Amino acid sequence: MNPALAAVLAAALAGATGWWAGRRRLVRQVVAVSGRPQGAAPAPTSALASLERAAAADRAALDAARFNAATMRAALDALPLGVVVVDADGRVILRTKAAQGVVGARHADVLVDEAVAEHAEGANRGNARRQQLDLYGPPRRTVVIRSLPVDVVDEDITPGATDAPRHAAVVTIEDVTERTRLESMRTDFVANISHELRTPVGGLALLAETLDGERDPHVVDRLAGKLLVEAHRVSRTIDDLLELSRLELEGARRDEVVIGVVISEALDRVRSAAEHRGIRIDVGDKGRALRVTGDRRQLVSAVTNLVDNAIKYSDPGSTVEVHAELTGDALAGHELELTVRDHGVGIPPTDLDRIFERFYRVDRARSRETGGTGLGLAIVRHVATNHGGAVTVESAEGVGSAFTLRLPSRREPAEPAPSPTAIGEVA
Amino acid sequence: MTDTRRSYHQELDLVRDEIVRMASSVCEIIPRGTGILLDGDLEGADYVILADDELDARALELEERCYQLLALQQPVARDLRTIVAALKIVGEVERSADLVVNICKAARRIHGHDLDPKLRGIIHRMSDQAQHLFSCAVRAYTDNDAALASALDDMDNLLDALQREFIQAIFESHAGGRVDLQVAVQLAVVCRFYERIGDHAVNVGERVQYMVTGWLPEHTGAARLGVRRQLAAEDAEPT
Repeated sequence: MNPALAAVLAAALAGATGWWAGRRRLVRQVVAVSGRPQGAAPAPTSALASLERAAAADRAALDAARFNAATMRAALDALPLGVVVVDADGRVILRTKAAQGVVGARHADVLVDEAVAEHAEGANRGNARRQQLDLYGPPRRTVVIRSLPVDVVDEDITPGATDAPRHAAVVTIEDVTERTRLESMRTDFVANISHELRTPVGGLALLAETLDGERDPHVVDRLAGKLLVEAHRVSRTIDDLLELSRLELEGARRDEVVIGVVISEALDRVRSAAEHRGIRIDVGDKGRALRVTGDRRQLVSAVTNLVDNAIKYSDPGSTVEVHAELTGDALAGHELELTVRDHGVGIPPTDLDRIFERFYRVDRARSRETGGTGLGLAIVRHVATNHGGAVTVESAEGVGSAFTLRLPSRREPAEPAPSPTAIGEVA
Repeated sequence: MTDTRRSYHQELDLVRDEIVRMASSVCEIIPRGTGILLDGDLEGADYVILADDELDARALELEERCYQLLALQQPVARDLRTIVAALKIVGEVERSADLVVNICKAARRIHGHDLDPKLRGIIHRMSDQAQHLFSCAVRAYTDNDAALASALDDMDNLLDALQREFIQAIFESHAGGRVDLQVAVQLAVVCRFYERIGDHAVNVGERVQYMVTGWLPEHTGAARLGVRRQLAAEDAEPT
């Protein structure tokens, strides 16, 4: 949104309003004269008629001006940018819809209004300014406030019709929350991808260099082991990157998939990790026979990632719960909800809306220990999108997280559940 | 005459607006302070500590304005209550901001120590609850909502419960060797700060009730004291 355009519109409006006020005064005088036919000094008929004509013309002009002002106001109201126009005496002439209740939290809006008033005062003294307000809300918002002084110049204003100072202040309010988020997402991504790929490759080179010429068999053993770990890390990252680009290219197949099969296949893949950390996985009985239309391989990959994460971030010896259920009704359409809940460290609220970004890490140090690639949740989100669904998360630090994968589904299960041996419990 | 009265009412409005603004900025710095504490943001801590001076200055200015109104306009009834309430509330607001400053200072002291996620989670919840209480107090004040103001006391119970839960969690963390004694002590003090912010919000609520209805919180305490004295007197009487 261009603030200069808004300023021009606002200046035009301020001009129109001033002109209109002048005209109205004139018309009132004329009407006062013409509306008094039995006055002390009866005017000649022809003079009265011409006065009435003039009054009618002025009334028409007034209506036109009013219409213009209303159009301008509607146009400004339609802008996504909030505009506040304050005249030279500090009175608010105009406040567009987008400039009211910007944040949506009472106290935060008070602060925005305070900043706007400050800006208007400055602009009336001739200062243009830009300020960024980070408001915690909730909801959390970043707002940019700009102010600029404008001159009210219009040749059509009758000289001397109004003695108001010929300048005003325009303050614009813009919600840049989403833009700021996208910007930081982009820069973080570039920084992270080079970090994630370069660090292990650098490690590999360094280890190989040390290994070269090393004769002590113990040291050789240890270095070779480390080499292997780093090589696996790179290969996992590359696998996940390939998986992501495949997801982007392919879209999803449209097969009939029983969710219980997806869950048991995913559990097979994470069984050893769970055993290693002594974590129990509870799979709810309900909903295993539910079906979705989709791509089995992609769904397995998404569920594996979710359960794998749950295991990584759980306290040893705790339980991870996986269950599926059907929500919604025939009218709104059914949805299959697959929830993976852990009782682990949880995610800080400030990170919650960013964890689905590629390579985003809540805690770098810890994620290196757990050996994740930082792409798991990005893959889950992609799979959800490919299937016309979504993935959401609820979490509290120190309590645990629950990830919910929502997929559009058709009706109730038509067939009995698959044999219980297929979906065992991982102890 | 009408002119002076109008400017007097404008002055009253200015006092109210300023209180709302100051209290709103406290609502904002509560989550900011929590972020600073949990992320170890030393720069942010310096900023909040410096910015508090401005709030102190504004509080003094507002007090001065109230004294002038009292002396020059000799308000009565509701106007008088409004100004007296403003004088009391501005103190509560200013003190709450100081508590956030204390949280930021604690952030400096525990800098570099990782916190148990369980503790972080409870700190977050206490911060949310303290902010919620404060923003409700602001709303009650702006809307002259005595009902909401009186509800604050009950809402504060949740914060008190969180504080107890937090102390318990500190003990467990310490027993499990996940937190240093020094950090544990700092955190125990920090949770007290949040709890105090909640208490100040409750006090603001009481002042709002007084402003709107004339009810005084002291009346309940005073009534209790009266009953106790009477009982004591009865006991002392020789039978």
